[in-house]
Formats: sequence, structure tokens, C-alpha cells
Amino acid sequence: MNIGNFSARKVSRRSVVAAVAATALALTGCTSGGDDKPAEKPAGPVTIKVWAWYPEFQGVVDNFNATHTDIKIEWTNAGTGQDQYTKLQTALKAGKGAPDVAMLELQEIPTFALTKHLVDLGKYGANDVKGDYVEWAWKQVSSGDQVYAIPVDAGPMAMMYREDIFKKYGLTVPKTWDEYKQQAEKLKTASAGKSFITDFGANDGGFMSGLFWQAGAQPYNYDLANPTSIGVNVNSAEAKKVIEYWEGMVNAGLADTTAFHTTDFYNGLGSEKYATYLAAGWGPGYIQANAAKSSGKWKVAPLPQWVAGENKQGDWGGSSFAVTDQAKYPDVAAKVAMELFGAKNTEAWKIGIDKAFLFPTATPVLESDTFKNKQYDFFGGQKVNEVFVPAYNAIGPFSWSPFNSYNFNQLTTNINQAIEKKTSWTAALDTAQANVKTYATQQGFKVQ
Amino acid sequence: MTEVQNSPAVAPAAAGPSVKTGRRSHLREAATGWLFVLPFAVLLVAFLLLPMAYAFKISLYRSTLIEGEVFALFDNYKQAIDDPLVREGVVRVLIFGLIQTPVMIGIALLAALLIDAATSRFSRFFRLAAFVPYAVPVVIGTLMWGFLYSDSIGPFSALGIDFVSSDTVLASLGNIVTWQWAGYNMIVLYAALQGLPRETYESARIDGATEVQIALRIKTPMIASALVLATLFTIMGTLQFFTEPLILQPLNPGAITQHYTPNVYAYQQAFSFQQYNYSAAISFLLGAVVFIGSYIFLFATRKRSALR
Repeated sequence: MNIGNFSARKVSRRSVVAAVAATALALTGCTSGGDDKPAEKPAGPVTIKVWAWYPEFQGVVDNFNATHTDIKIEWTNAGTGQDQYTKLQTALKAGKGAPDVAMLELQEIPTFALTKHLVDLGKYGANDVKGDYVEWAWKQVSSGDQVYAIPVDAGPMAMMYREDIFKKYGLTVPKTWDEYKQQAEKLKTASAGKSFITDFGANDGGFMSGLFWQAGAQPYNYDLANPTSIGVNVNSAEAKKVIEYWEGMVNAGLADTTAFHTTDFYNGLGSEKYATYLAAGWGPGYIQANAAKSSGKWKVAPLPQWVAGENKQGDWGGSSFAVTDQAKYPDVAAKVAMELFGAKNTEAWKIGIDKAFLFPTATPVLESDTFKNKQYDFFGGQKVNEVFVPAYNAIGPFSWSPFNSYNFNQLTTNINQAIEKKTSWTAALDTAQANVKTYATQQGFKVQ
Repeated sequence: MTEVQNSPAVAPAAAGPSVKTGRRSHLREAATGWLFVLPFAVLLVAFLLLPMAYAFKISLYRSTLIEGEVFALFDNYKQAIDDPLVREGVVRVLIFGLIQTPVMIGIALLAALLIDAATSRFSRFFRLAAFVPYAVPVVIGTLMWGFLYSDSIGPFSALGIDFVSSDTVLASLGNIVTWQWAGYNMIVLYAALQGLPRETYESARIDGATEVQIALRIKTPMIASALVLATLFTIMGTLQFFTEPLILQPLNPGAITQHYTPNVYAYQQAFSFQQYNYSAAISFLLGAVVFIGSYIFLFATRKRSALR
């Protein structure tokens, strides 16, 4: 029971520790302190606790420990996504039990940074590795010289398609969303409604945000340098364009609406139900694991464009390493965050690329010949990164809100309900906008 | 407590002659009684009363991302009462309870009467079979039904029914709950039936009553208190409906929303949005509704039941 810790939540964590250690008198004296000064290091190797849920991560950790005599990583898989975040939020709030280094998805960084529990890695040389990353990726993890996390992997979007289905029904690979719709209509007629062009997973906020991102929408205008003010524009014209398009696709029976990451969805990918899957850079590993039956039948093409000839791209997912304020040696933890999947750590990326199917963010890694020329049996020997890498490089900036769970919740809940009740999707987006604005105001933000 | 104190088996010294020793032994009795209750009392305080007090305390505070935590008295409660999402959930569980409770208790009663009337090997097998779903953990049972409802691999997929659309999902959830709990309630009612004196049926038969009449006019009224108990537990369970919708949510989040029931909503507020204060307020309000609902039911059925 953490009653003691919770009731003292208004008082800073350091104060609680001091109060327990000494007397109540200490409470007033410790509001300012030498936070930046790292503690004295022990004689042996420094132990750094890491929370992450990357597949095949043990190999990366073993490799790191084998090549570092002064640092020993202790890795824990504390759950995937929200499961880990819940544990991490609780531990950060309680003031103990959090790891030194934690895996955070890119969209979660402002949420955690706002709580002031993330260490500014800029103080520990993170800006030196800035050059290893393209601009949009670095912007996801930083504000000016403040660096909240080190990027690891990303999810540039592309279109995976079933070559066999395309051949069977005489479809051509669409270059624009208009062409995509035409092919969808052709497929519906030719297959007598048996196949859909794709599945629109309205239960995945990251997926929908990726499509908004490509269309140039900026749902939030938020900078951690000015953390109390936020611009909310969830129902922008660009977002509405995307939503209206998919509303039309679904209502015409061209796209299915089975929830992503469910058995029915995986079966749809493995059978002939879906002709395309709008995927992210981590998609090859994901689809290979969940639709093994369809191996060799897939190909990857760039995401269709809104305007013919343009090269607009979006990102869906991706992650980073952040250092928490519970790290005893933040300088060592920062080193771990920078090196674990760093640009120079080719051994780690060998595992990351070949076994875990991560899409690297570090330019030297993703521009390397081994990555670009890697052939994927699942895609009939296609060098799929020839599609994903240019897509990654063309992604524009995009900012997330410091309450991303609420953001994704509003997006998915309202769109899903519009699908269920067959009501207007754009009205659903308006509802999301109104709710987010109310929420942000309630939370004390100046909403613009 | 009083039971323990009055029990001669616990403290035979209570029959002591003098007033003085009587009082002292009374104290000792009380101490012995407390000693017996202690293990339970410690657990009750540590795992129920203290967390409840703590939850009540945090429900009186407001925590926002920018301003931090401030004392707000009943602001969270006011917000919860005005929150249309809370209301939607409450209305849903009430409707669910109104349909679910009679259906399930009806099935349980019918099954109990049937196996009470027949004493073949088949009835023993049936008794066990009907109880098995209760032995399956709720999470496993719900996952299993999730697969059964699937329209790509489910055995009912040929019927062309979408079991998790917004029109059908409440019934689908009701089916899972009935499957899980009907057997348990059946055992409760069956045990009560076994305790009835058999002579009553004999005399009823001599008076010319049919088996159906015996079941409906003799047996059912005589197990009224067990029926009331089973119904009460069912009402409490349906108002707190949580696990099944939470597990099936990923199948169709548009139909099973994150405010589907008040408990699901409270869970989401706490663990997705870190709104622990608001979540605590919703939980306490729900607790009050369950308490009042149970009390009304007990009051309405006080003549039928021995429970008061």
C-alpha cells in the first residue's frame, strides 16, 4: 500500500524521501537541489534498468553487456504499450519502482514529458547524435535543445498489396486515392463482394493519425517549451478530407471495418478478403507473424497520394528510449538510451532488422546497403525498404498532444460509433474536437 | 460477536457464580471473541476498509495535468452525476439487469427443479455439467465466447449474424453471463431444495397434486429465501458488469464503448487517462447505487425471505 506516497503527491518526491529520512523540518529546505549532479559511481559496473517490449530484445541486451564492462543492463518486459505506460505512470508518481530507461512510443513523449519525470538528455550530449536522425524524427523527441528521448524505430506508411488478388481480378497498383477507390470498385464487382480493397481499422488511433499526417493535418499545435498552451484542430479540413473519403469507401461496401489486431482481421489478411493493407514500416514483421498463410503473395508499393505526382507521407507508430527522473546515474542512463539502438550499434541493428523487423530511425542504419537491399521472402523477394526508406525521408513534422490516450480514445470512440450507428463520420470528428477542447480546458491548458 | 459470546462451547466459564468473576470472565470472553475474529478483521481492514477510505479521500480531490492536485469536495461527484456517459452506462446495466436477472434465475430454477425431481445417473451428470462453466475463469470463458462469436472462425458464422454489432452485443454478453452463472445459481437453489422435508410432497401427492403443481406451488415458495439470495447476488453482479465487456471490447470498440458500463468507464478513467480522482468518485457513486438497489430489493421481498 502506497498510502504514504500518494497522500504526499503535492509535495515533491525528493521532499518525501527527505522527510522520511530526517524530520519534517527538512520539508522546506529541499525544494532546490543539485538534481543535475550525478551521484558518485560505485566501483563495479553500474546497473541500468530498462523497460522495453521489442521482440528479440534479449540479444541486443546481451550484446550491450558483453561490450561494456562499466555498465550492466537489466531488462524487463513490463508489458506492451498501454500496459507498460500504466505501470510507468504509477511508478513515476509513486517516486519509486520506475526503470532508469523506458521505451516510449513517439506519440506518448509529450504525455510523459509534461509530468516532468523525463530527464533532459540534451544535458548529457544527446544533441551530439542529432545529426544521425532526419528532422521530423528528431522533432518528435525534442523541443529546441531539450531532448526527451532518443528515437529507435519508426513506422513510415506504405501500401502492402496481394499480387495474386490484383492479378486475378486485373487490378492495377493505384498511385492516387482516387485510383485506389476505382480499383476498389472494380474489385467489389469482379469478386462479387467477396473481397474488400482493405480494412479500415477505426480502433487504431495511430493508423488514423498516420493517414491524417499524410494529408497534412495538424490536429495539435503543441510545444513542450510552452507546456500550458495547446492548439486543438482535430477536425481540420485535411482530417475531414481523409475521414470523408473513408466514410465513402465504407458506406459503398468497398472497405471493411473489422477491428485491427483481432482474429477476424488476421484471417482476412491470410485469406483473400483484403487485397491491400495500409501498413507501417514495422508491417513486414507484423503481417508475417499474423498472416503466415499468405507468404510470398504480398508486395509493397508507396501509399497512394491525394494529388497525383506528389510525395506526401505519414508515420504510424515508432518508439524511443527515454530516461526517467528515478535514474541514479542519468549520464550513464543517457548513454544507454543513445547507444542501445544507436546509429553505430550495427550488432544491435542486425537483430533489430533481421529478427525483430524494426524500421530504424537512424539515417546511417536505414541508408546502409544491408537494410536497403534486404530481400524479403514474404514479399516474394522484393526489397521492400526501397519503398519504405524514401517514404520515411519524405515525412513532414507532426506534433502530439500531452494527453495522447484521450486523443486516441476520442478519435477511435467517435469514428467507431459513427460506423456502428451509420451516422456522419465528419460529425464524429467535430464531436471529438469539442470533447478534446473541453478536456484540455478542464486540465488547465490555454486552448487556442 | 454476540453469537461468539453467548456460545457455551467457546466460554463455559460464563456460568460463574459471583458478579465479579462474571465480569472478568466476560472480558476474557470478549477478548477470546476478538482473537477469533482477528484474522478476518485484519484482512477486512487492510484490504477493504483502508482502500475504501483512501479511495473516498482521493475522490474529494481534483487532479489536472497543469495545476496538479487540489481539494474539491464533491466536485467529482457533481461531474459524475452530470456526465452523460456515466448515465448511459447506468441505464445500460439497469436494462441488462432487468432482462438478465429473471432469465437467468428462471433457467437456474427450472434446472434445479428438474434435477431435484429426477434422481437418475443422468441428473448427477447434468448437475455437474451445468456447474462446469462456473469453474471456468471469467476471462477464459469470455475469450472462448469471443472466438465462438467470430465471423471468420466461429461455428455460427454460417448464420450470418454479427454477434458483436451494437444491436446484438448486449444479448451476446447476456448469453455469456447466463452461461457462466446459471449453473452456480442452480446449485444454490438445488441445495435449498434438498433441504426441504420430503413428507410435504407426499401429502401433496395424496391430495392429488401433479408433479408440476408440486414444483410450482410447494417447492418454489418453500425455497423463496434462496431465490431472493440468488437474485440479490445477480442484481449486484449485473450492476457491476465489467470483465466480459472489457475483454470483448477489442472485437468491436464501436459497440462496446469505453463507457459501456459504469465500471468499464471508471477503469478507463483511472488506467487510460490517469484520472484517479474522478474514477474513485464514479466507483463510489456506483457503490451507492448497488447498495440502494439491493436494499430496495430486500425491502420489497422482505415477506418472502428470511433475510432482513
